[in-house]
Amino acid sequence: MTRQYSHFMRWTSRVVIASMLAMGMPQQSAFAGIVEADQIVAHELAEQDRARINALIDREDVRAQLQQKGVSASEAKERVNALTDDEAHKIAGKLDQLPAGGDVFGLIFTIFIVLLVTDILGLTKVFPFTRSGRR
Amino acid sequence: MPARSARLIAGAFILCLCACANTPQTRSLLESSPGDLPRHGELVEVPFFPQDVFQCGPASLAMALNAADIPVTPEILKPELYLPQIRGSLQVEMLGAARRNGAIAYQLAPELSDMLREIAAGTPVVVLQNLALGWYPLWHYAVAVGYDLDRAEIILRSGLEPRQILPMKTFEYTWARSGRWAMVALPPGKIPQTAEPATFIAAIGAFEKIGRPALAQNAYTAALKRWPGNLAAQIGVGNTAYRMNNLSAAETAYRQAAQDHPDSTAALNNLAQTLADQARYEEAVDAARRAVSLGGPLLRTAQETLSDIERRMRR
Repeated sequence: MTRQYSHFMRWTSRVVIASMLAMGMPQQSAFAGIVEADQIVAHELAEQDRARINALIDREDVRAQLQQKGVSASEAKERVNALTDDEAHKIAGKLDQLPAGGDVFGLIFTIFIVLLVTDILGLTKVFPFTRSGRR
Repeated sequence: MPARSARLIAGAFILCLCACANTPQTRSLLESSPGDLPRHGELVEVPFFPQDVFQCGPASLAMALNAADIPVTPEILKPELYLPQIRGSLQVEMLGAARRNGAIAYQLAPELSDMLREIAAGTPVVVLQNLALGWYPLWHYAVAVGYDLDRAEIILRSGLEPRQILPMKTFEYTWARSGRWAMVALPPGKIPQTAEPATFIAAIGAFEKIGRPALAQNAYTAALKRWPGNLAAQIGVGNTAYRMNNLSAAETAYRQAAQDHPDSTAALNNLAQTLADQARYEEAVDAARRAVSLGGPLLRTAQETLSDIERRMRR
């Protein structure tokens, strides 16, 4: 990797991280003692979210970047499957909040996903909504 | 430039175009369209709002909301939707603004056939397109109001064109580049033709948070009609009644849910809470104990409800 390129990557990563942090997390308001209807479908939806994150890991550009960091796709997916429902949902929710359509520049999207996966694996800790790996 | 390398470059370029040229959903729809899908359809009554510069989001959503009998103009929606920094509107904001204006916003599965099914059922579909290329995006919202499988066309209200006709393939190219994002906005009580129960309940759940429980209840009731015995919809009917302080209606809904789903911690927990609020503590404690004994991911909520009721009893 050339020096300029890695400088660019570092800069882009910072922009991505800053914009992710700035977006904040929506909080649910709840009546005390009452289970909400959407809590009941949460598990089923979390399964869909996991599938969605795993599909991103299968993207060729993401795979290549991960490989460069010594992470195999299967290892990453194993960890995604171990996320709690809530975590899977929060992470997939972030994907929907990416600026207009996700890959404004394909690279930003790729970096986001790579950082997401390395976060889940516990190699990095950039997003507040990921739990670092316990291994 | 030597002819050979020019040919090589042209070849590489065409190869690249072919590699990008992929419209699988159009192909499969045209080759073998589902028998129950009409060959063509057009919603001529959907109003048209021509867009101002960069205002495709507010214009598109206004068209969809008017079609759902919610009279708004793009000017009303603009402050809720338009972000000057990106000169456009985010998808989550499109869904959120639809809700705030009283519609249930539902994001469709990324399937062309689902989009056509919604149109055939009378619902216009707001779509996000990338009109240019992945590395040079030109984002654009439009409203799909018609299609014709025999002519392989999609009909859109788009930008300044009240009736833009796009070849289905061209539409799919531009739509696929947005991740095939599509949404419908419906009055609470109507359910999208292609709705999946869990996803749709979550969409009502999001709507519930704007604080119009009577409308949310219409939606849950309709969901229960479409998917009889659906636990989440039953709980939703109960919760919206609870919010409107109609405790006896809430109790009825929770009892029905508990009867249909004897293993539901949520139904018993909410029932216990509702009984306690009516000062019927003996019954409440009984329901809460049963909820705790079921366990599961809601165990902690059930335990808190139980100890809360026991505290109130002692007072």
